[in-house]
Amino acid sequence: MATNQQQVLISPAELAYLHASLSLSPEPIRPDGRSSTQFRPLVAETDILPGTNGSARICFADGSEAIVGVKVEVEKTKPKAGAMINPEEGKEEKGDTGVEGGGGFDDDKKNYSNDWVELAVDIPGHRDDDPGTAFLGNMILEALLEDGELVKRLRINSRFHWKMYLDVLLISQPLSYPLPLLSLTTHLALLSTRLPCLISEGDEDPMFDDDWAASTNLYPPRGEKSKLSTSRPPITLLVMSVGHSILFDPTYEELAVADAVLAVSVSEEPTKPVPQDTIATPKQAKDRALRLLSIRSIDPPSRITPPGVPNGLNPATNGEVAGLQPKHAEARTAEVPATEGVWKAPRGGVSRSVLSAMVFKALEKGGVADEVLDGLQGVEMASEILE
Amino acid sequence: MPIIIIQPQAVAPPMIKDSDASSDSSSDNGGGADIDIDMTGMESHPQSGSGGAGIVTPGQIITTDSQWMRGHGTQLVNSSTIKATVAGTVSRTNKLLSVSAMRARYIPEVGDLVVGRIIEVQAKRWRVDVNAPQNAALPLSSINLPGGILRKRTETDELAIRNFFSEGDLLVAEVQGLLGDGGAMLHTRSLKFGKLRNGLFLAVKGQGGGHGGGVVKSRRQTWTIDSPEGGGKAIDVILGVNGYVWIQMHVHGEGVTAETKVGLNRLDEAAASAGNVYSSQNDRIDRETTREIARLRGVVTVLAEYGLRIDEEMVMRGYREAVELAKEMDAVEDIYLGGEKGDTLARILSGR
Repeated sequence: MATNQQQVLISPAELAYLHASLSLSPEPIRPDGRSSTQFRPLVAETDILPGTNGSARICFADGSEAIVGVKVEVEKTKPKAGAMINPEEGKEEKGDTGVEGGGGFDDDKKNYSNDWVELAVDIPGHRDDDPGTAFLGNMILEALLEDGELVKRLRINSRFHWKMYLDVLLISQPLSYPLPLLSLTTHLALLSTRLPCLISEGDEDPMFDDDWAASTNLYPPRGEKSKLSTSRPPITLLVMSVGHSILFDPTYEELAVADAVLAVSVSEEPTKPVPQDTIATPKQAKDRALRLLSIRSIDPPSRITPPGVPNGLNPATNGEVAGLQPKHAEARTAEVPATEGVWKAPRGGVSRSVLSAMVFKALEKGGVADEVLDGLQGVEMASEILE
Repeated sequence: MPIIIIQPQAVAPPMIKDSDASSDSSSDNGGGADIDIDMTGMESHPQSGSGGAGIVTPGQIITTDSQWMRGHGTQLVNSSTIKATVAGTVSRTNKLLSVSAMRARYIPEVGDLVVGRIIEVQAKRWRVDVNAPQNAALPLSSINLPGGILRKRTETDELAIRNFFSEGDLLVAEVQGLLGDGGAMLHTRSLKFGKLRNGLFLAVKGQGGGHGGGVVKSRRQTWTIDSPEGGGKAIDVILGVNGYVWIQMHVHGEGVTAETKVGLNRLDEAAASAGNVYSSQNDRIDRETTREIARLRGVVTVLAEYGLRIDEEMVMRGYREAVELAKEMDAVEDIYLGGEKGDTLARILSGR
């Protein structure tokens, strides 16, 4: 469980209002008027950093902004520790490469290593080794590695691979928990990543085409002929619950009244590679099967919010000015019964049904993840048209 | 559609029209060189050549011509060179050159109505964030005691200081005085002021926030909307001069908009009846009222985002337009004012 323990300075009266407004049924009323599954409008563009293989920038309307740069370099693949001891296995690996040329899809997993991807998150005002920052980075990386598709794409041949460095940079102050912003930006940057065209063959030392125009997309756009599967990079969504309401892309103040917050990583179910002679029809592209990669619960800041004092226990509202009996002085910290209109920090867990509803809402067909993936796909296409 | 993705655009020219320049051109016919000519003659800063509408950065030379006088946000070097000291837009009034900052903090003035948040509780006073360079101070002696009792503050009150306000609480207050270093002293010695509840908070840039946007000081900073759309309860809007905005459900006889006809001698009676000055318990708020409060907040956000003036007139106009827009554009009435709808609203309000 992640700790997001920064003191929130929001008064108990505001918290009580937010909580009441967000837990209204059937449809909650969010302070900015969005519907429960709606994201904040965002400005997105790709290919903004000329020195990188792929980059993207996303800005939310509230001013938070993130940049992701992707850099790759050729690295010699370390032979497996097992292969050193047992030379036959090394031979076996070499044998695999023959198959790889044709399929590239269902070859041996042992060939790939999660060390091929490195990710660094930088958040202003936080140290690099801050637990919060490290956790954010790990959550994004976990989804990428768990998907498995990214690492497969980084293989050049049995002796060489691409080493990928992902630099995730939040430019603005972290106004709300920046996970969705960083994850969406990473997704876009990976979509825009291009690798130099390989001209050497087989297990030779890799040689590349100097012409950048000949470079290939790491994630080829749909409809393009490719031996790789048509999957997309995973995305991580932030989902929170208040009462029975389930909200996506929560803001800072909404998180301050959350019962539970989940980071749900979703990717597409990899489809079989498109045969060389057919081109994926739009209908095929639309039929996307979503796959759940990971769920992490995030400790919401609501747990450490100050409780409100009911009027009946508040000496300042009883008119007892100097009535400073010890029992009143303790009233702030003592257990007070839940009163309507008085904020009380949530305690304990949430019910299983709410949790499953949160995950289901993210994953369902035509649900949030589906629409977000479509939206981001649109950004990539738009930038290609501009070129 | 859960996600709206906007194409990035080139930086738009500032929304505010240079009213000084237009009035100036008529009055300044014989007044020698025009600033536009002067600035295009400058060597190194092509962007300031565009009629002074560009953005200058601190240290950038605005002019080397000795005919100009320096105003706010500028500095005179070598008796004729004027440099900018803040990042913002150049404006001129006759021969006075000044730079209005893009972003500025609120500079407190005596008598301003401000919305603030308690940051720190000290022995005899609170430290209040009012978006100013320094936190304002609210002394224990400058608040009303519950029940309106008038007496000296004792040690007992000091011990119970968190019963009145504690960290994070929002309050509405007035600037009573200024200290030598620019820090403000607040007071809440009126039933109009005190702790805020039953509503939503929103921070926009305040007065001095450059580009003509933000909350402007006006005749009324607080008002009540008696019959909002959808048949909810009355709603109060409090625009703090410092750019902090509070929108709450109106409770009869309470809060900033209450008709305080009570004299000093009846203060205690009134205070006893409205004993909720320090309450942090919300009243029951119905769905319709909640919705309209959120809609009003959306309107203020749009005004702030598009650099429009925020005052009673604009907020009320914006609110009426937002209600109309929601009825026109959506099949299911939606109070969300982001993306395209915000654009439309801002266009209507700015009259373009």
